[in-house]
Amino acid sequence: MKASKSLWGSLLLVPFLLTACGEDDSGENGLDEEAESAGERITIFQDKVEISDQLEELAAEYTEETGVEVEVWGTTGSDYFQQLQVRLNSNQGPSIFSIQQYTELERIHSYAYDMSDEDYVQYIAQDMELEYEGNIYGVPYGLEGFGLVYNKDLVDPSEVTDYESFVQTLQRFEDEDINGISLADNSFFMIGHLSNYPFSLQDDNYEFVQQLNNGEISLTDYEEFQELGLFMEAIRDYAPNPMEVSYDRQIGDFATGQTAMIHQGNWAAPMFDDYELDFEIGMMPFPLSGNDKLAVGVASSWVINNDKSDEEIQAANDFLEWMFTSERGHEYIVEEFEFVPALTNIEADNLDPLSQEVLDAANAEQTLPWSHIYYPANSVRNNLLPPTEEFFLDDSITPEEYIENLDEAWDVAAEEDE
Amino acid sequence: MKQKNTGWYLLFTAPLIIIFALVVLVPFVMGFYYSFFRWDGISANPMTFIGLSNYTALMGDEDFYTSAWLTIKFTIMAVVAVNVLGLGLALLVTSKLKTVNYARAMFFMPNLIGGLILGYIWQFIFSDAFRVLGENFGFESIFRNWLLDSSLAMYALVIVFTWQMAGYMMVIYIAGIQGIPGDTIEAAKIDGANSWQRLKSVIMPLLMPSFTICLFLTLSFSFKIYDVNLSLTDGGPVGSTELFALHIYNEIFGYSNYGYGQAKAVVFFLLIGAVTLTQVYITKKREVEM
Repeated sequence: MKASKSLWGSLLLVPFLLTACGEDDSGENGLDEEAESAGERITIFQDKVEISDQLEELAAEYTEETGVEVEVWGTTGSDYFQQLQVRLNSNQGPSIFSIQQYTELERIHSYAYDMSDEDYVQYIAQDMELEYEGNIYGVPYGLEGFGLVYNKDLVDPSEVTDYESFVQTLQRFEDEDINGISLADNSFFMIGHLSNYPFSLQDDNYEFVQQLNNGEISLTDYEEFQELGLFMEAIRDYAPNPMEVSYDRQIGDFATGQTAMIHQGNWAAPMFDDYELDFEIGMMPFPLSGNDKLAVGVASSWVINNDKSDEEIQAANDFLEWMFTSERGHEYIVEEFEFVPALTNIEADNLDPLSQEVLDAANAEQTLPWSHIYYPANSVRNNLLPPTEEFFLDDSITPEEYIENLDEAWDVAAEEDE
Repeated sequence: MKQKNTGWYLLFTAPLIIIFALVVLVPFVMGFYYSFFRWDGISANPMTFIGLSNYTALMGDEDFYTSAWLTIKFTIMAVVAVNVLGLGLALLVTSKLKTVNYARAMFFMPNLIGGLILGYIWQFIFSDAFRVLGENFGFESIFRNWLLDSSLAMYALVIVFTWQMAGYMMVIYIAGIQGIPGDTIEAAKIDGANSWQRLKSVIMPLLMPSFTICLFLTLSFSFKIYDVNLSLTDGGPVGSTELFALHIYNEIFGYSNYGYGQAKAVVFFLLIGAVTLTQVYITKKREVEM
């Protein structure tokens, strides 16, 4: 009897022990949380793997200068938005996070702090702020642009200005036994970026996407999309199958002179550091329907979590203010992160050639806006990629059929996203 | 006395029960609950109760059927391949080969590699290595990029899964084979049974318990396959290998239809449950007592 009593006693102890452990943990978290709500500690969660180390250094400097502790959370990049979503849901969200797409902001705008009245937003370059219903919710990381990256020894951009000259150039390279162009096997490199051009060439690309989502219009009725089909056919005829070309191979073949042009953006520039290029590279507009502009936009924006205490939001604001206005902050943005600055108070020199072309185009206002930021969430990977893969695998699919398939895929994406 | 023991048992299993409840039971019940809502997975956004609408919507979802059919096709091929190969290897390494110990270790090794990494390794083999072989030695109808062909990609998946699981099943079959008393086999030998007859009429029936376990494991593993699927083909080309687990993940995190994806997961659970329980029931009945 006695034995069993002590036994039941110890059984009862188990939950206590467990809660005791639990309390220990929450005690530690509690300290952090206290510091956070008092504005003495902030956390940052962002999606660019390339800058994680540099951002941590920046954070350490900031802590030294101001005493406010800054913690940078690591990321794997590819499933960033899912992770962010999970953290916000469990009330363990960061103080500052980043958003890539307008459609992402639409979904989690209740977590975004309205920074319209903050001081630093005045420095954002024209039309580059992350806006929702007229308020500013995000400050751009930097500008990114894409187009045809070309080998200056092989290609003269003035000879590639429309569909006919594009095909003639590819024909010429085929005779010379050089790949004219190559795409890489990633949903954005294969169709996501390329599909921008016909959208961005419309008068109001945002409105166009909305009309398409509502089923009011069909892609097949637009000349620009028919031409996209023709361009894709030319790529299918003259280029290696993109599904067999990895990003590394695409860059490698280009850097060693086996490929004359690749469709890429200035983000690829650091990859050329691994090669000793014996030629100069440049970026030219993709000549769809005679387009003569680079597609320039913002890849990611800094956003402050609205779901935190006023003090923590203030601390996050102070951090951003410091990064966007102090000399050290500017140095980090340009030299360490290697961004093309989207802030008017930053001077940028010593950019790599591709970034320089992007910045020149932006300064000359010779740019096309990005349209893929308005696409239904995840539609590039889930909906636009499959018909594109099919098109590249099956030569019997005509360009018209391909655009019809894309149009159908879009309807599915819009329906899923509603 | 008996009461006392129950208490002790409870005490020692308590941590496990608590963990099991937290990571399996609670999420399971919550998932079931979410399947009655229309929700995008963001807690600040509204969750609308829509009753059984998610389940009725499933009926007309063609992608759902395609993916279910692909999963069934994969499972049938994988279960047959894994068990035939597993049993074959087990018979081989319980024979009187000199190198049995090495052979066992070798065959089991693939199972120690994580599915994601396996997928990436084989991705290289099926795309680059095969292409190079084809270019140099001919036979280009076989040696080309399997992962770009909608019908071959499925076989590639089966091959990788078989390679990964056969060694594991082999170990279970070895245990079963070694559990068969030597005198039974010897008696069969003296009665004049040749090796095929011994295998068919003595070893196989006595191995039924191993079959029960192995079939159960391979059935449930191949229904639930996700990691190899993700890293080897990622559902491609053109969605021809998007098996069920990947399909549900894409529904929830790709299209952010949290409730709808959960409904698919519930149906998936019922399907696996029904199939595996039927299998266990059937094979259990055929187990013989010595």
